[in-house]
Amino acid sequence: MANFNDFKTRLKIAKEKLKSSSNNTNNSGNSSSMGSAFKLSTDLVAHVAVGTIIGFILDSWFDTKPWLIIIFFFLGSIAGILNVIKTAKQMQEKE
Amino acid sequence: MATNPMHQFQVYKLGPEIKIAGIDLSFTNASLFMLLSAATICGLLFLGTKEKKIIPGKFQLISEIFYNFIAKMISDTAGSKAKPYFPFIFSLFMFVLFCNMLGMLPYSFTVTSHIIVTLLMAIFIFVAVTVIGFLKHGFGYLKLFVPSGVPAVLLPLITVIEIISYLSRPVSLSVRLFANMMAGHTMLKVFGGFVISLGVLGGWLPLSFSVALTGLEILVAFLQAYVFAILTCIYLNDALNLHH
Repeated sequence: MANFNDFKTRLKIAKEKLKSSSNNTNNSGNSSSMGSAFKLSTDLVAHVAVGTIIGFILDSWFDTKPWLIIIFFFLGSIAGILNVIKTAKQMQEKE
Repeated sequence: MATNPMHQFQVYKLGPEIKIAGIDLSFTNASLFMLLSAATICGLLFLGTKEKKIIPGKFQLISEIFYNFIAKMISDTAGSKAKPYFPFIFSLFMFVLFCNMLGMLPYSFTVTSHIIVTLLMAIFIFVAVTVIGFLKHGFGYLKLFVPSGVPAVLLPLITVIEIISYLSRPVSLSVRLFANMMAGHTMLKVFGGFVISLGVLGGWLPLSFSVALTGLEILVAFLQAYVFAILTCIYLNDALNLHH
């Protein structure tokens, strides 16, 4: 039984530790910031690519060959940059 | 021998060709490694949950760490409403993680270095999140594309941009995982080739690079699984709690 009591006190200490550690939010700092770096870089490229593809599809639907692909390329670039700014702002708010 | 750095990504058939209704369903090395990673996950979790002790053994400890890690990630990013989706995100994370990690073994095959695998997972997530969003909010889910506080003149432009940004989700999700895995494994092979071609005299520098890159690749393998799962949580959060 002494063993069990010992375990109980240890559990209490561990629980208190957990409480205090959950208060500091940046305990997963490094790996998640590297993760968001990966997210930012591919997001920027993917937005431009998707914008261009949408432009290409709409072009072949409406037969307006070069125009929509150009417009949507720029729209995609704008979307990518806006998205990066938005994510960066969220990252700053977290800190 | 396989001096071509892209040779490692080749998919080949194991066993006889199986064709059902014109679709090639042969068992390939990719299917073998998918099965292997699924079997490893099942084995690990089976061993971990077999004996439920207060003081956990090795396998139970690992399983509990994985469980806590995903549970915390979901509650941090998507809130308590996302709790029912825990099994899906847990299996997704474990599958991607084990595919990446099994790919790090010598002579193995990395399933996630093929865009068709990652794109399929990403499209499934994209469709599922869209369906969940429409089920929870009805046509109010379309408000996601119309942010509040935008002047009426800019509204059409912003809406188009938001739609592009929504549609690019599966692309960026799948390309990130695929590109990271493929680039890393190609780089490892290229440096390994340098070791052979430079021989005993000059091969030590690329060899040390190779060792360092292997460490980096293991980090990337974990990180990409983590990013894949956390982005699924973020998209789920958008669908469940609609506040832009």
